[in-house]
Amino acid sequence: MKRTFMMLILVVGMMSLAASAGSISGKVSGVNGESVVYVDAIAGKTFPAPTAKPVIDQKGLMFQPHIVVVEQGTTVEFLNSDKVAHNVFWPSVGGNKKLTHNLGTWPQGEKRAFKFDNPGAVPLLCNVHPEMAGYIVVSPTPYFATSDKSGVYKIENVPDGSYTVTAWHEGAKSSSKPVTVAGDSKADFTLSK
Amino acid sequence: MDMPRRVFPRIAFVLTVVLLTGSSYAIPAFSRQYGTSCTTCHIDFPKLNDFGKAFKDAGFKFPKSDEDFIKVPQVMLGAPAQKELWPHTVFPGTIPGLPPVGLRFNQFFQYTSGNANNFYQPSGAPGSVQPPTIPRTDFEPGYFSIFMAGNFGSDIAFWVDDDLSVSGQNANGALGDGYLRFVNIGRFFKLPTDALTLRVGQFEPDLPFTQARSINISPYDIYTQANIGSSSQNVNNVYALQNGVQGIEFSGGHQYGGYHYSVAVVNQNTSGTSASPSNVSSPGGFFSDANYKDVYARFSYRFNLERDPASRHDIQAAGATGPRDHTYLSLGTFYYEGRSVQRFNGGTAGTLLTAREPFYRVGGDFSFNYRTFNLFGLFMYGHDHDLVLNSPDDPTGFIRGPAANFNGGFLEADYLALPWLMTIMRYDRVQSTADFLNEVASGNYFSPVGSTRNRVTPGVQFLIHANIKASFEYAVRPKQALSYDPTTLKPLSSIRTNTATGALEFVY
Repeated sequence: MKRTFMMLILVVGMMSLAASAGSISGKVSGVNGESVVYVDAIAGKTFPAPTAKPVIDQKGLMFQPHIVVVEQGTTVEFLNSDKVAHNVFWPSVGGNKKLTHNLGTWPQGEKRAFKFDNPGAVPLLCNVHPEMAGYIVVSPTPYFATSDKSGVYKIENVPDGSYTVTAWHEGAKSSSKPVTVAGDSKADFTLSK
Repeated sequence: MDMPRRVFPRIAFVLTVVLLTGSSYAIPAFSRQYGTSCTTCHIDFPKLNDFGKAFKDAGFKFPKSDEDFIKVPQVMLGAPAQKELWPHTVFPGTIPGLPPVGLRFNQFFQYTSGNANNFYQPSGAPGSVQPPTIPRTDFEPGYFSIFMAGNFGSDIAFWVDDDLSVSGQNANGALGDGYLRFVNIGRFFKLPTDALTLRVGQFEPDLPFTQARSINISPYDIYTQANIGSSSQNVNNVYALQNGVQGIEFSGGHQYGGYHYSVAVVNQNTSGTSASPSNVSSPGGFFSDANYKDVYARFSYRFNLERDPASRHDIQAAGATGPRDHTYLSLGTFYYEGRSVQRFNGGTAGTLLTAREPFYRVGGDFSFNYRTFNLFGLFMYGHDHDLVLNSPDDPTGFIRGPAANFNGGFLEADYLALPWLMTIMRYDRVQSTADFLNEVASGNYFSPVGSTRNRVTPGVQFLIHANIKASFEYAVRPKQALSYDPTTLKPLSSIRTNTATGALEFVY
């Protein structure tokens, strides 16, 4: 009897949670290619750091993938798969040049890791090959999405509430707007370079 | 006194040499093909970094897994599987998806110190206005060149460059280097990897420090030193170390570490005095005036000095904060031997007299590199046998005269203060018996007082982008003589002929 009661409580709880979680979807226009949309920091709320460690590979003189979105506190691993030495550094995080960092230079097969504790876009560069560029977008919340090439995106499992949502695109000015989530919500962005 | 008439063309010659001798290249076609920056291979174009040297050594390829880095798909001239059918099919190769063509243009501005500019022809009447011998300031277009380089998808590489116009004159252009390079043919003889490579065509010899890819505006004086005597010396050898040569070259080893050697057999590169009328024409356009071939050889060894063996043996070392060449010390030696040909009409017998004057150039060099600081230098000794007609009136042969010797070299320090800012300090020195005799005879004030020509040349270069730069250098020379006291042979009215030169150059 006690077990049945507990199961009932759990099911009701999950149903109520599902009922209060919505999504944010829309389109980022004015730019071509993938964009990143994320929910900005929520006052008074923190999130545990993810344990997964995404890998960014340096292969064929390119950062692969070109854009990675991670939650704040994520550790990213940088792998060099090329038979030439590569370096990884970033001149700023979210435009803050004080957060510049140089991970160093290393040969094929080795990788180095870094934990990104500050939100914002991180332009990745290699000072051995100055044409190489990649991006990590550090989202302060776990609510983020990458659009498809036409700019369409959808952020799932966003609790109902009022947030500030930011759209980022490589080389464009980011744009933020307030969005109230109640079930499925819409938010379109128009970015310009 | 007719000295000014002799002086002016010499000045023009010197300025032309100073401004237009540089023949430097970087290859935009490779940037396009690999989707990478010029700085992958160049420190300050056209100076190669270690990776650029390895790229060149490998036959204009990435030394490892070249195909992984090519961004523009290659056009196959036969499927790779055709290799299995050989010799019953043409061996397959590739050509780049983009034409491997690059363009280069440069222009100069020069300021010559007032002393030289104010040298007026002394033959004018007192108080009369005389034009300056040379302009104090001068704008000068340089080279417009086209160049191609690449490989055939195999271990056969090529390079061709041609100057479409020089100094604004389309007719002045000429082929620079044009060669095929068969990389690592030693594998057919089971030699160690890269122990033997063959190059055929017209090329700059394997100089210790390339003139063609020098970052300096003005050439190294010792590289331009010909051995041309007058008066008591009968040498007329126009060969200079910077000259291109035609022939074949065997080489091996690497420029970025360990041993490196080259041995070249090349056409004679002299054009000594010919008989009048000329009896040896070259209707086929042959470059050489005799069957004798000159020989150039070089050996060097580079010690990479990193403690970590893996880093020491890697093609490109890089520090924690970015790319840099190995810390290294390189030592080398070189030798050129040839014969300078001069022809004279015999005396009463009317025979042709041919003097084949053996000559050699021998020298040593070093280069030390620490991060972005490179100190390097070269010393060379030149020696020409001097065969003098045995009788000025009725010559029937030659007798041995005093040899024409010279020596000298340069010492240069390059410091890349910022990735786009190169600072240079350089010292050039040449001592020549022929220069001394010529000087006394001609009063050429760009020649030395005495037998020594030297200068200190600080310079700075700014990379505006990776493929365009502005360069400046200032050559400080000791006092030069306008004329000599006929009794004491002491110089009179000495002046300085310092020159400031600016250049803008881009490749595209």
